[in-house]
Amino acid sequence: MNDYKAIMIGGSAGSFQVVSRIIAALPANYPLPILMCLHRLKHIRSGFVEALSIKSKLPIIEPHDKEPLKAGRIYLAPANYHMYIELGNRFSLSTEDVVNHSRPSIDLSFFSASYNFKRKLVGIILSGANKDGALGLKSVTDNGGLTIVQDPKECQVPTMTTASMNATKVDYVFSTKQIIDFLLKLA
Amino acid sequence: MVDNIGIVDTRNIISAVTDTYGIDLSDYTFTILKRRLIHAINTFGSHSADDFCDKIRKKAITADDFLYTISLEVTEFFRDPSLWRELRDKYISEISRATDGRIWMPCVTSGDELFSLAIIIAEAGLQGKIKIDANCPSNKHIELINKGGNYDQKKIEVSEANYTRYVGKTQFASYYTLSDNKAVMKPQLLDSVTLEKQDDILNSAITRKYKMIIYRNKLLQFNIPLYDKVIHKLVDSLEVGGYLVIGNMETLEYSEASKKLQVVNATEKIYKKRVD
Repeated sequence: MNDYKAIMIGGSAGSFQVVSRIIAALPANYPLPILMCLHRLKHIRSGFVEALSIKSKLPIIEPHDKEPLKAGRIYLAPANYHMYIELGNRFSLSTEDVVNHSRPSIDLSFFSASYNFKRKLVGIILSGANKDGALGLKSVTDNGGLTIVQDPKECQVPTMTTASMNATKVDYVFSTKQIIDFLLKLA
Repeated sequence: MVDNIGIVDTRNIISAVTDTYGIDLSDYTFTILKRRLIHAINTFGSHSADDFCDKIRKKAITADDFLYTISLEVTEFFRDPSLWRELRDKYISEISRATDGRIWMPCVTSGDELFSLAIIIAEAGLQGKIKIDANCPSNKHIELINKGGNYDQKKIEVSEANYTRYVGKTQFASYYTLSDNKAVMKPQLLDSVTLEKQDDILNSAITRKYKMIIYRNKLLQFNIPLYDKVIHKLVDSLEVGGYLVIGNMETLEYSEASKKLQVVNATEKIYKKRVD
């Protein structure tokens, strides 16, 4: 279990409350970096980190391009940039065109993270209203990582989780509480 | 349709490009380069990375077409409207008062930021008082931009929203005409712009110093060693007191050249050159 090097979370409509609950449950000494790619308004650059930080004991950061990835931090893909993880554990950002109507695109973040971390990545897809993230989660499976989706029955909008389950055989379908319990066991 | 290539494929293409065109892509950000190469493989109708390498080595693809195709897109006019407001309100008139008020925009690809700059200068009534030297990676880019570009509806919708947030003097629609559902910017916006080809920013000699250099979201495509060289080139090309503008999620902190700059706007990433 403790072999994992990073946790990647993707979400869209209906995921904010879930992410807030997950973040609030993690202790200040949580050892793994958490990478989050959440759909957000492209033109609003500030406010999201602040809103998520209210209940977080861990620092939440929108990484700058080329910033090294560090444990014990939560990274949020910045508005209007795709966020990648490069070999050597640095972030890179991109202004390439939208993918699945989204920038940041969850698929693109998951592709790069799964390529970088291979089997040492945990990929989690939460509530969302489009299929962005489904192929990304498949890439986690294809690279030997562990996959979790929020139980569609619990999702405000289950399109993203359902699409993910159709794209790949996921390891776990969890409620928010089960996701939290699982993440705490990794610490 | 090729939807992925591996690290070996990428290296093989980099070698073919270097051998054939003399262009070194070895220090470009891997993920971004890989995605651009996949795009190029499909654009040129290749069925695999090896097939693409063959086409390059046989010069079935010109260097100009290759550079045009792999260039990283900048995706909107007036992206980050607050930056363009800041330039309009605090910097443009200062530059216009200089003896040789020149702005350099290297690596212009889609032309969005070049036209955005031209619009804020025109709206300030300073057209002719500020010269813009712009460089494109390929002649194809230059031809397209000189004709006003060719922008799809989706980009125009986003750009109109950005322009509204920028609070321009008119409607964004007044700056383009529609043809076959594509927007073509009015070419006269570029009357004070000199467009020249520059396929590698590091290969050009510094012939003049600039009051401002706008190089937004271009450093994203480089690994740190190449990024550092490019930043040195940019800083060396600035007058003392001149300004460097980069993308809002870019940083200069991994380059020694940043010591020659002071931050004047941390949010919009505007830097001023302190010393030569």
